[in-house]
Amino acid sequence: MNQNKIDINKPTPNPVFTYFSDLIDRDIVDFRNEFVGQLYDIIVKVAQVYPQSAGLIVRRGFPNRKYALVNWEHVEELNPREIKLKLEKSSIVFAEKHDNKEELSLRRDILDQQVVDTYNHRVIRVNDIHFLRVENALTVAHVDIGARGLVRRLGFEKFLDFAVRTFNPHARYLRLERLIPWKYIQPLTINPSSMTIKINVPQKQLTNIPAADLGEIIQDLPLQDQIALFKTLDLPTRAKVFMNIDFKTQQQMIDELGYAEIATILNFLPSDEATDFLERLPQESTKQFLSILESKQAKKLSELLGYSGDSAGGLMTTEFLAFKKGTAIAEIIKAIREKTFKVEPAQFVYVVDDEQHLVASINFKRLMLAPPDDPVEKHTFPKTYYVNLNSSVKEVAYLMEKYKYYAIPVVDDHNVLKGIVTVDDVLSQVIAIAWRRLKKINITPKQ
Amino acid sequence: MSKIKKFWRETVIFLSILGPGLITANVDNDAGGITTYSVAGAHFGFSLLWSFIPIIIALIVIQEMSSRMAVVTGKGLADLIREEFGVKVTFYAMLGLIYSNIFNTIAEFAGIAASAELLGINKFVLVPLSAVFVWFLIVKGTYKSIEKIFLLFCFFYVAYVISAFYTRPDWGHVAQEIIHPKIPWSREYLILLIAVVGTTITPWMQFYQQSSVVEKGIKLSDYKYTRLDVICGAFVVNIVAFFIVLVCANTLFKNGIRVETASDAALALRPLAGDYSYYLFAAGLFNASLFAACILPLSTAYCVCEGMGWELGLNKKFREAPQFYALYTAIIAISAVVVLVPNIPLVPLMISAQTKNGILLPFVLIFMLLLVNNKRLMGEYTNSRLYNIIAVTVVVFMILLSAILLLTYYF
Repeated sequence: MNQNKIDINKPTPNPVFTYFSDLIDRDIVDFRNEFVGQLYDIIVKVAQVYPQSAGLIVRRGFPNRKYALVNWEHVEELNPREIKLKLEKSSIVFAEKHDNKEELSLRRDILDQQVVDTYNHRVIRVNDIHFLRVENALTVAHVDIGARGLVRRLGFEKFLDFAVRTFNPHARYLRLERLIPWKYIQPLTINPSSMTIKINVPQKQLTNIPAADLGEIIQDLPLQDQIALFKTLDLPTRAKVFMNIDFKTQQQMIDELGYAEIATILNFLPSDEATDFLERLPQESTKQFLSILESKQAKKLSELLGYSGDSAGGLMTTEFLAFKKGTAIAEIIKAIREKTFKVEPAQFVYVVDDEQHLVASINFKRLMLAPPDDPVEKHTFPKTYYVNLNSSVKEVAYLMEKYKYYAIPVVDDHNVLKGIVTVDDVLSQVIAIAWRRLKKINITPKQ
Repeated sequence: MSKIKKFWRETVIFLSILGPGLITANVDNDAGGITTYSVAGAHFGFSLLWSFIPIIIALIVIQEMSSRMAVVTGKGLADLIREEFGVKVTFYAMLGLIYSNIFNTIAEFAGIAASAELLGINKFVLVPLSAVFVWFLIVKGTYKSIEKIFLLFCFFYVAYVISAFYTRPDWGHVAQEIIHPKIPWSREYLILLIAVVGTTITPWMQFYQQSSVVEKGIKLSDYKYTRLDVICGAFVVNIVAFFIVLVCANTLFKNGIRVETASDAALALRPLAGDYSYYLFAAGLFNASLFAACILPLSTAYCVCEGMGWELGLNKKFREAPQFYALYTAIIAISAVVVLVPNIPLVPLMISAQTKNGILLPFVLIFMLLLVNNKRLMGEYTNSRLYNIIAVTVVVFMILLSAILLLTYYF
């Protein structure tokens, strides 16, 4: 970042960088060089990846401030002292307010506001805006979130730079520019009528942020922004994010978005995660949800809710692959190809009889290697280990470790296959137990 | 039947929302507050008691605006100042807040030191111990657990009420003084009146109140309970203050004893009201000082980071939020160390904390009025015309009082 060396204020045909803080409050004159007012705000058009200046707001008078909107095409010249317009002073109409509902206006919506940095996955506050200037057109290039931006806004940049440079010409401070490219910035301006985020360009890459990080970002925001941002996500992302926010925020979401909206999200969740959530709700709310959910899903969930949280029944998910005895290998492979999964399947296929009793199991590798026309039971593992609905977490973990299973089937007292416990669910439980022990004997794992 | 059920449900919701208003209001009865009330009672007897009625109203009006902004916008006061008034205003406001709050925190630790002496504990033990306690409480706790401890702190203010009953006040006379106060119009009376108001309504509490309501995540539909919380807080804090004045009026004033600090008051109480009153008074001072010492550094660090856009929050590690932890730790450390400097004049330090509050308060109140009336932020929840008339009157009065307070200190 070496733009500092260029004198940004000299009018030049070459592209140069300039800061919003340098432009704010700059005098605006008409074509006769008569004073019109001062620059208050810049309005940008978000057509491409990088927004272009589309207009400016002039402010004049104190204490009775008046504002006027000038289209950017009337800007004649940006020079170090002033901004010159092609218009005549009298043709500019001032008003008490400056309501520009549609556009993105930088001072109101970006400067000093919180935005999401989709590259570093966090919520930041904008200290300054960095423009690329070609001729007289401005393009938003970066937002500045560093300490230098703050100092520049306070008007101490030159003084502090001089002071620091005197003592240490290589000070870290002098290079402490924290510019984030605009393409990674998701503004949080809310459209007051629809209560959704105004600008939602696909480039903003919100959906590329891992759900756990996105959950944390959302938790850092005020409630209105949380809801607005959440609404801009697609349903599967919403489901993932929903599982990654704390219980309090989840409850707020229910209050704000309503049961029906959250219920649609629950349909996108694997059943074990959905039950985890429902389990913590007050009984009334759980009932409410079960009454809205698709009847099949509701039945499944209400059954799962009956098991204790740390038993195999409470941990298991009811999404698993089971086929009747005698099904051909090819048919199973075809079914795997066609089925859409809410979670990655745990690479196991179970074989059951007509009454859903667990008979055997087979993994994907064996399925692929087996001749397609053979019935499945010819290639299953010689023995399949399983746990009961009320087996403890420890028992489950022990068996999975012993037989190197990614998932273990769960059966009821009559050996009917009810679900599977996958390794990630066991891990999170076991890690929680291990953590408590580690804390007791005071060993902290390496970061 | 359903009416009873509804009543219970509403009570449960209220209890779950109770907290921010009650806590913020009670922190006003900190070391500085108790000193002021003691002096007020000792010097002017019952004749200042009437002032608690207008103070209750002012407190409710101002705190209600903070919590309304918190619930509607979901943002803290520092956040809103930054977003609406820009970085310059925020920077200087935050600088002022840090400056005045360091003095406030010193005053709290001075209160801890004073109570240590009263209770016969070495202050070189109690002050560092309290500082460590405060630091760990906040760094290791969660908002929920801390709030419970804070509510417990609030409960201990009962010490003052009990100690008032030990002095057997003449209730008929007290009532008469409230309804028809005999006001001895003198310069000293006026100064003390202003000090009583100034110690109850401070700049930092606006920030703290708003942040804690935001932190609690209260829904707009439950806002009426928050308002009730604020009203409860205003009454509780003034009732406690009322009893402190009562204790001192009933004992010290009657015997013509003049005091300058809360510990003077406690010492003077001992022969007049007995050991119980003395220990309750001293324990009350310790409780109040420690309570405020917990809240002040936290609220300062929180607001400053909020306003400047630095990472903040107790769920972040030191590396993620260095400014937050540095500020928080520094305020505690500076205050505890200053108080332990031998022969440091603590009374002038406590008084200077109040003058700093007095300088900052007008700005904060004006920001609040501008923000709460901003349609874009508050939508239909801006002040009504009538409410604005009351609020502006209260604010103008507060500003006038602050100005007079400052003049009297400096001239």
